[in-house]
Amino acid sequence: MTRAQRSLTLWLAVALILVAFPIAAPILPLQSTVAIDIPGRFDGPSAEHWLGQDELGRDVLSRIIWGARASLIVAFGSAFFAAVIGTILGLVGGYFRGLAEILAVRSTEIIICLPPLLLALLVITILGAGIDTLIMALTILFVPKYTRVVYAATLQTGALDFVTAQESMGTHPMRILARTVLPNIFPPLLVQFSLTVASGILLESGLSFLGLGVVPPAPSWGLMIRAARAALDVQPLLLLWPSLALAGTVLLLNVICDRLQEVITPRTAERGGAAWLRRQLGLTKPEPVADDTPLLAIRDLSVAVSTERGTIGLTDTVGFTLKPGETMALVGESGSGKTLTGLATTGLLPNALKITNGSALFRDCSGTVLDLAKLTEDQFRPLRGNDISMVFQDASASLNPVHRIGDQLAEVIAEHRKLPRAEIDTLVVDLLRRVGIPDPEQRRRAYPFELSGGQRQRAMIAMAIANSPRLLIADEPTTALDPTIQAQILRLLDGLKDENRDMGMIFVTHNLAVVKEIADTVSVMYAGEVVEQGSVAEIFERPRHPYTAALLASVPESESTRLESIPGTVPRAGEMPEGCRFAPRCKHAADICASVDGLQTLADGRRTACIRWETVT
Amino acid sequence: MSDQATAMEQTSAGTVIVEARGVSRNFPQRQGLFGEKRDVWALRKIDIDIRRGEALGVVGESGCGKSTLGRLLLALDDPTEGTVTFEGQALNEMRGAPLRALRQRMQMIFQDPFGSLDPRRSIGAQIADGLRNHQTVPPAEINAEVARLMDLVGLDPVTATRRPHEFSGGQRQRIAVARALAPRPDFIVADEPVSALDVSIAAQIVNLLADLRDDLNLAMLFISHDLHVVRHLSSRLVVMYLGRIVEEGPTEAIFAAPRHPYTRALLSATPSVRRPAGYRGAILEGELPSPADPPSGCAFRTRCPLAVAACAGAVPELEDIGDKRRVACIRHADMVAP
Ligand SMILES: Nc1ncnc2c1ncn2[C@@H]1O[C@H](COP(=O)(O)OP(=O)(O)O)[C@@H](O)[C@H]1O
Ligand code: SF4
Ligand code: SF4
Ligand SMILES: [Mg+2]
Repeated sequence: MTRAQRSLTLWLAVALILVAFPIAAPILPLQSTVAIDIPGRFDGPSAEHWLGQDELGRDVLSRIIWGARASLIVAFGSAFFAAVIGTILGLVGGYFRGLAEILAVRSTEIIICLPPLLLALLVITILGAGIDTLIMALTILFVPKYTRVVYAATLQTGALDFVTAQESMGTHPMRILARTVLPNIFPPLLVQFSLTVASGILLESGLSFLGLGVVPPAPSWGLMIRAARAALDVQPLLLLWPSLALAGTVLLLNVICDRLQEVITPRTAERGGAAWLRRQLGLTKPEPVADDTPLLAIRDLSVAVSTERGTIGLTDTVGFTLKPGETMALVGESGSGKTLTGLATTGLLPNALKITNGSALFRDCSGTVLDLAKLTEDQFRPLRGNDISMVFQDASASLNPVHRIGDQLAEVIAEHRKLPRAEIDTLVVDLLRRVGIPDPEQRRRAYPFELSGGQRQRAMIAMAIANSPRLLIADEPTTALDPTIQAQILRLLDGLKDENRDMGMIFVTHNLAVVKEIADTVSVMYAGEVVEQGSVAEIFERPRHPYTAALLASVPESESTRLESIPGTVPRAGEMPEGCRFAPRCKHAADICASVDGLQTLADGRRTACIRWETVT
Repeated sequence: MSDQATAMEQTSAGTVIVEARGVSRNFPQRQGLFGEKRDVWALRKIDIDIRRGEALGVVGESGCGKSTLGRLLLALDDPTEGTVTFEGQALNEMRGAPLRALRQRMQMIFQDPFGSLDPRRSIGAQIADGLRNHQTVPPAEINAEVARLMDLVGLDPVTATRRPHEFSGGQRQRIAVARALAPRPDFIVADEPVSALDVSIAAQIVNLLADLRDDLNLAMLFISHDLHVVRHLSSRLVVMYLGRIVEEGPTEAIFAAPRHPYTRALLSATPSVRRPAGYRGAILEGELPSPADPPSGCAFRTRCPLAVAACAGAVPELEDIGDKRRVACIRHADMVAP
């Protein structure tokens, strides 16, 4: 069992114990909920009445437990029925589109326009007060919320390749909806469920308060809160008990839904501690470091992941320097630690990952040198987007599917620059044009799913260059682009450096041909380590590491029909071989290779980690 | 061409299995909330044939209609005009169960090895889907067949119970290939299958696809924006621009001497390790015009270095220029190296 599963089990057990009370109410030795005891009015807790007595001297404990039945049935019942109906409408509307969309989704939007209380009043006036009517009224109220959430999630999921893959496999649409789409929209559905139950309990109390829900003298938490408020100055405890029950239920439900979501969402690394805790530690100003680095000096940087089985190193003693106006390419296969090195430099490492060693000295706009490896989240935020900016690899994951791309771009600009709306709009169109989106005036109104993959990537790049950064970390920014647009983007990035001579760029890529065109220096990474470093001209002319040589040989430009490929895959983190990590795939491996330890500097100033470089390169 | 080569071609190039004739696809777009609908042609008058044992390469910029073409050939979408036939059966006349049955014989491999697999189900179950939907093998033999397929694409069958997040990008693409092969298709559309992969891994996948094409005598539509990769898999190439085919012919001939200015621009824009460091070739300026408002005449004329007044007239026909090549440019004769 993982930590999340254990935690879920624990909280479910707590919930079960608590729910057992109202369920078992008829057989528990509880006092009557309606027996009036006028002399005992407003008495505090006593041996006989553990939680005291209310304004008519009735036992509060038994009214809380019996009241839970009404409140929870109404809240869970309406949340559940609304979830079923809303999910079906949202799924059908979002998947089949067209007429189904109009019927299912647009019609529920009418309900949203009506004031909720008015709607509930209408239903109850027609059908009379009572628990059944209350559930029905609340169900009608809640359906549109689910429909919206499910509709949006279905639109997003339906456009994903694995759904198309099912279609192309000839799977029946209903089967696709039930087996592929539904499980993948479950997380937002779950969040919506916990929100709805909470608001169901609150609405029940509100409606009962107005005399439209549970009919007295039957107890419900809402009725109890209503009565207690009138007697607040006589016996404040009367308000405390039902409020505690209410708040406790809502909190417990949120925790359970949270844990459930963690359990059903597959992920590689488990989540670390709470982000707000880390933030608490960062209220101080960052310490300047005395160093003469002109822009960026990464030294011995190591990143590790903490897992169930302990800490596993992901990158090991990575080091390089970057001068203003210089472009350094970080090149290597995926999983070699290029992206992690970039993320560590921008303070964007996921929670479970930590910098375990080394420093990243950065000279910011004001000339102060900071150690980025030691900054807290709060100290980092003003740097990001101003001094340091990043272009990410995965555009579809980085764009919000329910907002127009122009609006998302405007938001990025507005966050860092106070400009009038019209000026921002001009900038947005201009940026979209610069990254090669056709028809930017029209296209800025498009939602991400309306753009082809390449166009989404361009919108993403527009966001990163929106605020002219000093250190630009571009992680595979052109990988998904067409050659003619890639050429334009490379020139665009080059142009940015001309506009801003203080800017340096780290260009993360696996495409050696691109490296050759854009970069001045290269660091070749393999399995978390830098294995070779030098100028672009030298490394392409004569690689000094067998891995670099193998990478160059696999570029699909040879005349032969069969491509050279490097056998095997990069070893998994935590399973690294001793000494040279490339040894299992290296055709020159020898016994001596187990003694490799980091880069060595050669006479001509180049650096390689291969111990046999003289004989094999 | 020698007699031997002709004989080879007749047997290995095989019979035409997928045929598109005059295929166009319109995605009408409404202007504003109450505005008129405007035609947006993603594809115009496409004619192509794909033969068994052949991977027809399709290159062009994103938005030029490559993926739309792939979807039409797989009957995931219907053409607005024209017909797509699969072994002589017109796909746009088919619906429901017969269409789903036919789909078993045509499969797709996607660009994004992360998005194309359901993150919540084991990879074995996903490969088995294709077997179950069409009863390719008896239920008792499904596990053995999944193992065989995984083995075929170079994956360890004991990993069948794992979910996609436990695999690397290259391995996921192998899973996607195994899933596509499960229903024993005759035709596969590979939509940028290696664009998201590392060079060394892309090389493995390209080699794998080449082997499968030869061993299983598959027909393939290989979509890519990387000309170098296409060259390794496809002996015939189609170059598209803004929904139309602008050049078509044997890959090597096109590489050696492109006859359409767009093809030449594409070749020079593709980065190469063989050029000097910091090389900056002639860059194709401008943007891909909006498909909602294409230029009159030749759609490429807004970016074409050879454009003349006449290019704004009629849309250039795809003209046969001999050597099995076709090109849609009124100045193709000027493209022959002096
Ligand atoms: N469902 C759709 N609705 C509207 N426009 C679409 C749709 N699918 C594709 N398009 C448009 O059709 C054109 C061709 O797209 P696509 O075939 O994805 O190009 P490619 O695969 O070459 O990148 C693009 O302009 C795209 O925006
Ligand atoms: S150290 Fe040995 S195993 Fe490593 S790259 Fe050099 S020759 Fe190959
Ligand atoms: S027809 Fe004219 S504009 Fe079009 S490619 Fe040929 S020369 Fe260029
Ligand atoms: Mg595409």
